[in-house]
This record gives sequence, C-alpha cells and structure tokens, in this order.
Amino acid sequence: MSRLLRKTGSILARLLSRKGSALALLFLSAVTFAAIFANFLPLDPFGQKLVNALKGPSATNWFGTDELGRDILARVVYGARTSLLTAAGAVAIAALAGVPIGLVAGFFGGWRDAALMRLVDVLLALPAILFAMAMIAVLGRSQAAALIAVGITGIPSFARITRAQVLTLRKRDFVTAVEAFGGSATYNMFRTILPNSWSPIFVQVVVLCSVAILLEAALSFLGVGVPPPTPSWGEMLRTGKSYLHEAPYYAVLPGLVLTLTILSFDVLGRALSDILQGRRDVDVVAKAGEASS
Amino acid sequence: MKTQFLRTLRRLGFLFLAATAPVAIGGASFIAPAQAEEAALKGGTLRVAVLSDLTNFDPHQFSTVNFHLIKNLYDSLIEYSPEGEAVPSLATAWAIAPDNQSVTVTLRDDVSFASGAKLTSADVAATLAKAADPDRGKNVYATMSIVKDWTTPDDKTITINFKAPVPQRQITDLLQFTLPIEAKGIDTVETVPAGTGPYLLDSRAVGQGLTLKANPNYWRKGQPIAEKVDFTIFSEDSSASAALESGAIDLIYGGSSRSAVRLQDAGFQVLRGSGPLVQVFRMNSTRGPFQNAKFRQGFNYLMDREGMLRVGYAGLGEVVALPWAPASPAFDASYVEEFAYNPEKAKELFAASGLSPAELSGWKLLVWGNDEPSVVLSQILQSALAELGINIELDVRQGAEYTEAQLAGDYDATFGAVGNVQKFPSRVATNSIYRVVKNPVLKDPHPHPEYVDAINRVNTTSGPEADVKAAYDHLNRVLVETAFAVPTNSYDTGLVVAAPNLGGLALDIDNLFVARTVGFQ
Repeated sequence: MSRLLRKTGSILARLLSRKGSALALLFLSAVTFAAIFANFLPLDPFGQKLVNALKGPSATNWFGTDELGRDILARVVYGARTSLLTAAGAVAIAALAGVPIGLVAGFFGGWRDAALMRLVDVLLALPAILFAMAMIAVLGRSQAAALIAVGITGIPSFARITRAQVLTLRKRDFVTAVEAFGGSATYNMFRTILPNSWSPIFVQVVVLCSVAILLEAALSFLGVGVPPPTPSWGEMLRTGKSYLHEAPYYAVLPGLVLTLTILSFDVLGRALSDILQGRRDVDVVAKAGEASS
Repeated sequence: MKTQFLRTLRRLGFLFLAATAPVAIGGASFIAPAQAEEAALKGGTLRVAVLSDLTNFDPHQFSTVNFHLIKNLYDSLIEYSPEGEAVPSLATAWAIAPDNQSVTVTLRDDVSFASGAKLTSADVAATLAKAADPDRGKNVYATMSIVKDWTTPDDKTITINFKAPVPQRQITDLLQFTLPIEAKGIDTVETVPAGTGPYLLDSRAVGQGLTLKANPNYWRKGQPIAEKVDFTIFSEDSSASAALESGAIDLIYGGSSRSAVRLQDAGFQVLRGSGPLVQVFRMNSTRGPFQNAKFRQGFNYLMDREGMLRVGYAGLGEVVALPWAPASPAFDASYVEEFAYNPEKAKELFAASGLSPAELSGWKLLVWGNDEPSVVLSQILQSALAELGINIELDVRQGAEYTEAQLAGDYDATFGAVGNVQKFPSRVATNSIYRVVKNPVLKDPHPHPEYVDAINRVNTTSGPEADVKAAYDHLNRVLVETAFAVPTNSYDTGLVVAAPNLGGLALDIDNLFVARTVGFQ
C-alpha cells in the first residue's frame, strides 16, 4: 500500500513539475471538485426566469442566462457532473470488458485470440458515434444509455492495448518462471502479467476520458444524449448555436469549458505516457539539442 | 466622397426600411398587390431558400414541406383575401343553392394546363374524384366528406351536390381547396406536376432543390413577374439566414421566427400570413391522470402563454386559448383573458381532481426533439408543474420516432401544432387530436361526445347568424371544458424573410408561398 502511495506521489510530483500537465491537472481538479460539490454551491441550474432570458454575463450571472432565463454558469457546473459521470462510467465499462478480452486473447493466442480479436474488429469497424446512436435508439434516451453506448465503443482500444502488452510480456522469463513453478494460467494472467501492464492501460483510461466526454457532448449536440432539463455541455452547444447572433456567450462559454477539459485530459494523457513509459519529453530533447549545438 | 455618398444612401435605405417595416410585418399582403407596384417590378431569377425538400407534386398532399410549390404550380377554384373573403380565381362565379345543398361553379375559359390543354369541367370532376378517394385524396379527403356527387352540364360548369345543407363558409373552403389537376395527368401527378399554375417545373435535384420557369400561357396578365424561381434546400435555418445576408439568395420561406425577428432588425422584409398554426398541448384523455377532467382543465391556467410565445417564437404570433386564428369566424379573444396564466387556479383544480401525488406525476411529456420551440415549451411547462410539486419526465424523441408516436397517439401528453385554424371552424377536426371519428389518440368511440355534438352543431347550422354564432360559442365553451387539447399560441408557418429590393411579396390564406407577384425593384 505504502509502495503504491509512494509511486502515485512520485507520478503526481512529476506531473506537477511540468507546466502543461500541472495546469491541466489543476483545471481538471477544479472541474471535478465543482461537479462533485455542485449541490453545496449557490447555483441553480433549473430555475427559470423567462423575463431574464438571454441576458449577457453580469455580476449575478457570470456566464449570462439561457433562453429560459437559467444561469449558464450553474448549468456548466452541473453539466460537468453529466460529462464526468458519463466519462467515468464509460471508461469503467470499457476497461472492465476490454482488459480481460485483451488479456485472454494475448495470453492464450490461437483460436481464442482470433475469435476475440475479430469481435473487437467488428466493434472497431463501427463508427463510434453511429454505434452509440444505434444503442441509444434501442435503450432509450438517458444518461445510463449514453454511458453504456460510449463505454462499449471504448472496449476495442482497451482490448488491443492490453493484448499488445500481454504479447510482449508473455515470453518474458518471469512469466515462464511462474509457469515452471506450476502457476495457473489465471494466476499468471492476473497476478503476473496484468500488474506489469498497467502503465499503458492507465494512460488509455485518461485518453478515453476525453474521447468519452467528446462523444457524450456530440450525442447531446445531435439531440440523442441526456434529455433536458438535465444540463449537458453538448446540449448547451446545440441550443446555444441557435442564439449565436443574439447571445454568443451562450454557446461559446460552455464550448470553451468543454474544449479546455478535453485538452486537459489529452495533455495529461501525453504526460502520463511519457512518465510511465520512461520516455524523455520533447522539451528535454529539444533543450539537449540546443545545448549540444 | 464616393464612400460618403454610399453611406448616405445606405442610411436613407435603412430609414426607408424602418418606415415600411411595420407595414410589412403588420399583416399579410393581399395575393394580388397593387397594379402600380406590380408594374414597377422587374423580372429575373428569384432565389429562394427552403428548409426541407418536397414530398411530391400532388396538390392534395397539403403538407407544410410542399407549401412553397403548390400555389406556384397550381391554382385554386377560388382564393380568400387575408380577411377571409372569397374572391375569384379559376372560377369566375360560384352560386350556392338557396337550400345550401349544392354549388354551381363557372370556370374561366382562358386557362390552360402546363401541357397546353385547356381547363375543362372534366378536369375538375377528375380532381374531385381523386380527392374523394380515401386512398388518393390525401389531406383533401376529409374536406370531401360533405360532398355527395357532382355533375358537369358543360365544359365550363360543374355542380357539386352535398349530402346535407352545408354552411356557406364550408362550401367556399372546399372550392379554395380544389386545385384542378389535368385529368390525364392525375395518375402521375406525384412525380409530374399537372396544374394551371404560373410556373412550370424546369428541373429538380432531389435533396438539393428545384427550378421553376414561367408559364408563358398563364392566364393572369402580367404574371408571373420573375422568369425563374430557384429553390435551394438549406438544412439549417442559420445557414439560410447567412445566405440571405450575404446576398446568395433573395428570400427565405419557412424560416424560424427568431431568425425572422433578427433579420427584420437588420433591414430585411418580413411577411406574415393569415394562416398561422396554433401550438396545442395535447392530452391523451384515455390515459392515466388525463382521464380526470379537473386535472386537464388545470392546464388551461398553467400555461404561461406570454412567456411561451416570447421564448419559443421570439414573440412572433399571438397568445390563444382556443385553436382559432383571427381570420376564423369562431375566433374569440375573450378566452385569453379568462384563461390567463394562474398557477394558483391550476393548483386548485389539480387538488379538486382528487388524484394522489403519485398519480399527478405519473406521466411523461413526449417532446419533438427536432423542434426547438417544442423543447422550450415543454421545459417551461415542466418547470411550472415542478413549482406545484408535480415532477414529470420529458420523453424527447427525434424525427420519425416522434412522428410515429404522435400519429399513433402513443403518448400521455405532447405539444403539437394544428392547422386550418383560419378556416371553417369544424376544419379543426382534420387535426389528429381534434378528430371526431378515427381519432388516433382518443380512439373510437370518442371519449368526449359533447365535443363531437358541438362540431356537428357547427356543421349543421347554416343560419340565421345568431344561431351560427351560438354554435361557435358553444363549441368554444366545450373545447375549454373538455380540455383534451389546450392551445397556447399561434405562430407563423411559411414566414417570408426577403431582401429589401424585392416587391410584391404575398402569401395565400394558408400561408402558401405565392411567387407569381414577386419581382425586383
């Protein structure tokens, strides 16, 4: 436990030592904090004041009001809850299904690998947004449906990354040694190989978060995401685009928060990838290059 | 110097527009604009933006997606002025029998179809036969329910006989809905237009648009003014607005109220017709809490109609508590005051319903997700209910999924527009929720026999005037008491937004686009 904490602390320290990832982490922490503790903030995302519709940013409504006179800031904050919850749920579904698939396929190889990978190929061949829309058409329009749909579209990426990692570890001595001492296949997969495969999977978790948030926003933008009046960034963009002339802030501010969130996840994913895989970051290489010249 | 001159010109132009805008938006222009104005207009190619492709070229397919074409490819036997007065068109005269059991129509003798063949009473008879056929009559079929048969004494005369005495306005509605199709073109009319209209089909690119060219043999002298009309389909209202502002098109037909208001402020002309739609909160009174009359009546008071009109339709329309436009003979403005927004009164009626809190909240509001105003109106109502402690869910569906549920009546409640609100009052019964038989929502037998009786009373009262008015008043009272449908506001279908250099803009009584009078100044 203490080793895990020490390792986490070390990763965190290295993330914070980089300007880009530190800013991304700070922004995501703020968004997550606001999403979790939104109920304790003096914000009402549902309260309508029709006479107050489409008012610009002010001291009372920092982000202005929407067409129903609701506070856009409140809806952005509560929309973060929708986005992050969908992302977390989707990533959990994708990882819980994708990692075992990749593990079994890579470890056993043969017909099991072929069958599972063709299944993954089928999922991969379907455009994510189209598949998600079809799923929602079947399951109905709700946050749970969006979460499941986005989660399923994420399965192939986890399965392929895990399989690739397993293939590189499968013939390593420490795995062969466990086998030689009579370790079962299940033990070897989950106790020997998986703990050594976490780095790329963890990076994929972060990357898929941004993909899931974007996909959820796209579904809401297309009108098949979470139903109103539940706040959602994509839904706000969808409605806001109709008022671009009268109230540009309506679409721009939620769009900006959405962009920054996705950008932050991407920056964080890239930094994690560098740190966990022991690669030197581009800045260091550039600096080294400059020094040598 | 040149720049200064141009600036001055532009300012003068805006001043002129500001001065004329109230005239343009104040009411629909008559179909035939003043001769002097018409003479001053120049021809050319009129570029029109529409937001959806047509269904087919059949004038009996009276769907809003066909509204930009019908009156350009076909003519009616008669027309209505914006005030609802019948005026001649293909018919020079129509004589209603003293017993109101028949009408004899005399046709013009200088009218020819797109093929060049002359219009005769046989063509009108063939058109009526199609309209009376349940499989081919489409939207005009219901109007034909009053017709018994017809005879053609000669080439230019047709007599239509009715099953029973019919009120005069209902007869003229029938004539206005009769757009003759050439007899030999009836079987192919869905794909090949066969009318007497001012324009002929030149070309069509499915999903993209179509071009009409002027009919050289058109019977109205000096019309059409524009030699060609190019219709381009824009998938987004905002794209059409941008195209108009950039000068890529001359006119938008059927755009949103919000864009129209914004473009009007920017100096464009806005034309509203006298055939609006009325937004109606429809309740399935055969299901759940809606079986309770007091619960339904509560919604008469729970609608913040002013707010709904302002937010949903940028204020372009009128608040209404009955499904009538001002041009309807049954229109009664006093109901708006009687059923003004009053949540306390709604709360009292909900309490008087005797329904438990679980029953009051035990329903879903079906929402047409593609229609922005419907989403907004639904959220306003949801919020108003929440204020009274009634929390309901919105069941948002898109496109065909919604239409299917709506047409099959598979919902608890929903917002939906109704048309024909400027015609003879019983025409309202052509809209699904108001049907008296084969009602897809309320089913047979109709759960509100008092409403069916009220419609029948209107249908069978052809005079004296006091009796007719009493029949309309009775229908209005029954509508608010049965309350299976609660109107909130009228709004413009077929709204026209045009460049400042266009003149002769016109819509017919049903807000169909009339291009023949439009020209360039």
